[in-house]
Order: sequence, then structure tokens, then C-alpha cells
Amino acid sequence: MSNVREQSHPSNGDLTSPAEGDLKPYVVFTQLNRGDPHMYAGCVDAADEQMALQFAREHYGQDQKCVNIWVVPKEAVTATNYDTDLIWRHTDQTYRLARGYSKPVKDKWRKLRRAEDLKEYEKDDLKETF
Amino acid sequence: MITLPDNLKRPFADHLLAVADDKLMLGHRNSDWTGLAPILEEDIAFSSLAQDEMAHAQALYQLIAGLIGTSADALAFGRESEAFRCAAIVEAPDEFDWATAICRQFYCDHFDRLRLRRLARSSYKPLADLANRLAAEEQIHVEHVDSWIQRLGRGTDESRQRMQRSLDALAAIAPSLFEPIEHEHELVAADVYPRAEKDMFETWRNELEQIANDSSLKLDLHPPSPQAIGGRRGKHTEHLAPLLEEMCEVYRLEPNAAW
Amino acid sequence: MSGSANVGVHVDHARDEDPAKLAEFEARITAGELLEPDDWMPQAYRQGMLKMAEHHANSEIIGALPEGEWITRAPSLRRKLALTAKVQDEVGHGQMLYRVSQDLGKSRDQMLRDLITGKTKYHNVFNYPAPTWGDIAMIQWLIDGAAILNQKTLADGAYGPYVRTMKRINMEEAFHFKSGEDMVLTLMSGTKTQRQMGQEAFDRWWYPALMFFGPPDKPHAEQLPPMRWRMKTVTNDDLRRRFINRFAPAAIDLGLKIHVVKKDDNGMVIEKKPDENLRLDETTGNWSFTQPDWDEFYRVIRGNGPCNAKRLALRRFSYEQGRWVRHAILRGNAGLPPAA
Ligand SMILES: [Fe+2]
Ligand SMILES: [Fe+2]
Repeated sequence: MSNVREQSHPSNGDLTSPAEGDLKPYVVFTQLNRGDPHMYAGCVDAADEQMALQFAREHYGQDQKCVNIWVVPKEAVTATNYDTDLIWRHTDQTYRLARGYSKPVKDKWRKLRRAEDLKEYEKDDLKETF
Repeated sequence: MITLPDNLKRPFADHLLAVADDKLMLGHRNSDWTGLAPILEEDIAFSSLAQDEMAHAQALYQLIAGLIGTSADALAFGRESEAFRCAAIVEAPDEFDWATAICRQFYCDHFDRLRLRRLARSSYKPLADLANRLAAEEQIHVEHVDSWIQRLGRGTDESRQRMQRSLDALAAIAPSLFEPIEHEHELVAADVYPRAEKDMFETWRNELEQIANDSSLKLDLHPPSPQAIGGRRGKHTEHLAPLLEEMCEVYRLEPNAAW
Repeated sequence: MSGSANVGVHVDHARDEDPAKLAEFEARITAGELLEPDDWMPQAYRQGMLKMAEHHANSEIIGALPEGEWITRAPSLRRKLALTAKVQDEVGHGQMLYRVSQDLGKSRDQMLRDLITGKTKYHNVFNYPAPTWGDIAMIQWLIDGAAILNQKTLADGAYGPYVRTMKRINMEEAFHFKSGEDMVLTLMSGTKTQRQMGQEAFDRWWYPALMFFGPPDKPHAEQLPPMRWRMKTVTNDDLRRRFINRFAPAAIDLGLKIHVVKKDDNGMVIEKKPDENLRLDETTGNWSFTQPDWDEFYRVIRGNGPCNAKRLALRRFSYEQGRWVRHAILRGNAGLPPAA
């Protein structure tokens, strides 16, 4: 063990270094594969954009494969408020979603078409949206 | 209260029709802007607000329809103009003038929020629940329209003048929102439409004035006479009949068909 | 709806490019990599992508107009809400695609101005009229259906921002298509008036839908830049074949008759007869059909379609009407008072 580790003693008095506050916070967005959207990963405090990028790539770019990083000054992010800003409406929104129509459409087709024709026809549907 | 006494059903339906009809007409007018607003992002936003109004109307019509035995669509598309209870201001066309659309929205949304908050205290629980949900969405509308009033009131000389002109042009019919509805006192007495905490017209005018003052704009609003007979009693401006003719054009081809 | 790789975006072979860089670029494309705006790419690719994204954006914005006419006339509250949301989506698609184009170096304002003054084009299909509610049903079923087929293949392209936008757009197209299907099914299982309305609208839209994918391909389309560089991934003719194989049998089962039509200058059908070439080839599984009138296609592209002037006039009106609003927030005093 080094001397420093061995010789540092508990002490109480005031700190000799003055409080100087934090560096600037940056929000970090990482992209896991080329072509993917960038996603929020977390924050780093840094002196400037370049430093923020250096910090971010080591902090958030190493826990899984990552190909690109954005940093944005945190103050540049304006956000809604969970309590006061309603985003997704209370009223029924199924009129504007594909799945709002899947059942009636299926029921109506079934009266008109054979199951195998319908299956063939539906193979071009975007399954994940229904 | 979970069930409404029979003697209140008719005045209740009339009253809620006023709320729903206001919303349908406003939503109808505003939805027409989809694709034509001054900025693409606003086009999308304004269309969402229009959809909210129409969705609110639908939810209210459903509530009424359940009580009087009809359907929401029959209420929206199957009535003659005298049966509508909307106020003159929501009937006013805008000819795709953004200042008119925003000022109309300004008068209506502030009123609508006040009215919904009042209905949210209703002794009739299904209404209180619904009004509560709708009021939360109305809040978005008020914030949205206020920011347009402020930006355009302060923007340029031209934008301020245009906004002032439209505010003035609509000021005469905006108070039509406050015209009394028949038998309203019975609903108030039963707390179905609870008494306003403060004079509603004054509250409305104060809210609007504060935003207008922030926006270098002036307001001149006077309460409607208590005897006023207009939209709330089925007497409409010349704009409603053509609006309905257009809105119901397809529905009337086969009123009993599913569309 | 819409989708534009089919409109003959002309991309010249890369001349005057560093052969080593070009080879590396093409190797990345072949390896299935996605490109980002700051990556090296041939000038012709960058220009081609801009043209394609801009054309697609223009098409979304103009595409909002024919259906927009029917928002005020939709026959039920749900349809009224759905149509408003659908047209709103198209505007949103335009907004996202203009962003892709803006990042390739052209301002949105300039793109809107070029669109309105006819310097750039939009998809031909929006130059046809929508005179009845039946047209709204058919547009959402056939044209949004064609758009999904097309845009799903565009989402396999190589340009990252465009590909990501396509994926997002396709989720919304699924709603357009499903609600279109629901409307068509409702009309065709409805009253006599409704079924007739459906058939007449189908007659108006079947051929524009076939033309949607663009004219027959040039020989060796796979080796020409748009496909070699994966700006598009499937040929026009192949997309058209997939479309017919899906929609022709469905139309027949719906009770629709597939007609070869002759139209007047307003896009209204004046003559029709059953398509005698329409049949299923059991050995290939493909449907044969009578080709669209490609002379008409080029006539409409040149600006002489039934609604070209009307669409641009409305878009111009909106631009001019909105000037003072944009000016006030772009150049006017700071917008909002300090927060309370
Ligand atoms: Fe679409
Ligand atoms: Fe679209």
C-alpha cells in the first residue's frame, strides 16, 4: 500500500479548498447501430462540448456497442411537466390508430372472403401496428 | 348522483347540447385548416386541437344520446339547424384568415375551460367525470392559443393590427357564449350545473384581458342581455345553415346507412 | 401516403469522383450499411437523395389537399376524426421529409416556393379529382395501400435519415390503410347507392393506383444508380405486380368490377369496359392486366392533369395567406412575455 493511503488520517476541520460549483451539464444521446435513432443515455458534466463528448464516449459508450454520440447542453433541453402538461389525450384515440380498425375490418372481410385469400392479402400488413 | 331525475333530462340534454354543439362547430371550422395552416408544425398542432374538440363533442353526444335514446351521430348529423344550441361565435367562418381563427379560438377556449371546470363539479357523477377529463385537454388549448395571441400581438405592427382587427370583429358575438339556456336555473338548483364561484363573464373577461394586455392588444367585451335570444335557443346566424348543409351532405344521402 | 422513388429521379453516374472513395462508398452500400448526412457520398447521390426526399415531401403536402376537401363532409363523427387525423399525418410526413431534405442543404421555405411556382414536382396521383366520399375510401385503400407497399421497400434503402423517417411514416400509413379498408368494406356491404358510389370511385382510382409506381422500368434498372445505391430497392414493375396480386382478387371479392376506363379532361370516367386481360396465371401466381395509359401519365406529369392547377393554387394561397404569421415570429419582436 502506498504511503499516502497508509498515512492519511481522519480529520474534521474546515476544508482548505473553496467550493467552486459544478461543470456544465450535457445530455448524452447514443446510437447503438448505424442508422438507428439516437437515444437518451444520461448526462455528463463537462467544461465544454468537446470535453462532454470525451466523457460521454467513455461513460455511456462502453456498456454496449455504440457507434455515435450526441451531446446537447442540458439547458438547451426544454421539457414538458409530468403533472401539468397532458400529452396523450384522455379521450378515445383509437380512431387514429390502425388497431382501432383491425377487428371491424377482419369481421367484414370474413363475410366476403375465404380464410386463405384473406391470409394471403394480409401478408403485406404491418403486423406490429395492429 | 348516478342517475338523473326524469324532470331534469330535457333541460340537461339541452344544456349539454350547447356544450357539444359549440365544440362540434369549432372543431369543424378548425379541422378545415388541416393542410393549410401558416407553418407545417402548427398545421399539425392546430389539427390536434380541432380533433380534441370533435372528440369532446362525440363524448358529450354519447352521454346525451344514452339519456334520450338516440345516437351521437344522429345528434351531430341528423338535426335541423333550429335544434342546435351553439353560440354565434362558433358559427363564424374564418375564410382561412389565421387572425380570425386564433381570435375565435381565444374567446371560445377560455370560455370552454371555465364551463368545463364548472361542469366538473356537477352533482351528476357521469358528467363530472367526463368534464374533468375534457377540462384537462382544454387546458392545452388555452395555453396554445394564448401563446399565439402573445406572439402575434407583439410580433410586428402588421401582425398586431391584424390581431386587433379580428379581436374587434369578433367582440360583438363572442359574448353569445354566455347567452342563457332554457331551464338552466333548474339544473343550477339541482347542482347538476353548479353555480359559478365568481361571475363567469367577469372571470372570462379578466382572463382574456390579462393575456391581451401582455400582447399589446385591447379588448372590449360586454355581457349579453339576459333576454338575448340566439343560438342557445335555436336562433342562429346566417352561417349555420350552409355549414350544416356541407357537414351533412354525405350523411343525408343515406341517413340510415352505416358509413 | 405517397412515396416517390418511382417518379424517375434522374441520377447521373458519378463522374469526377475520386474512384477510391467511390469504391469504398459502393462497398458500404453493398454491405447494407446506412449512410449519414456527414458521410462522404458522390455528389450525384447527395443531389439525388435531396431530389427524392424533396419530391416525397412535396407529395405529402399536396396529398393533404384532395382528402382535406372532405374533412368538412365526412359522414360520421368517427370518420370525421379519422380523416382529420389522416390528413394531419400527411402534413406530418411532409414536415419530417422536408427535415431530411433541409439537412441535405436546401431550406424548407425555398422548397415550398419551388413547389408552388412549379420548379419542382410532386406525385402525379394527387392531380386526380376526389368528387365523392367513395373517392376518399378508395384513396385510403388503394393509394395508401400502394404507398405502404412502396414505402416498406424504401425503408430498406441506404440513406439513414430517410430510412428512419420511412419507418415512422409507415406506422401511420398502416392506420390510413386500415381505415381505408374499413370504409371500402362498409360501402361495399352497404346500400345500393353506397355500392354504386364505391364502384364509381374504384373506376376513377384503379388506374392512378397502377400508375402510382411509375412507368415501366428502364432495362437493367438494378444496375442504374437509384437501385445500385439503394435509393430504391424494388423496381416499379415489381411493385406494380405485387400490388395487383394483392388488390385485384380483393376487389373482386368485394364485388367490385375492374374496368379499363376512358376519362375526360376533368378526370371523370366517360367510357368503361371490363378489363379482358385481367386473369390469374395459375403457374406463376401473377395476375395479368391491361397496362395503364402511359401517354396520360406523361401528360399529367407535364402539368396537364385534371387538378394540377387547382392543387398548386390552393398551396399558393396557403403560403401567401400565412406570410404575415411566419414573418411575425421569424422577424418580429421576441414572442412571449417573461414567464410568470
Ligand atoms: Fe397516407
Ligand atoms: Fe404519407
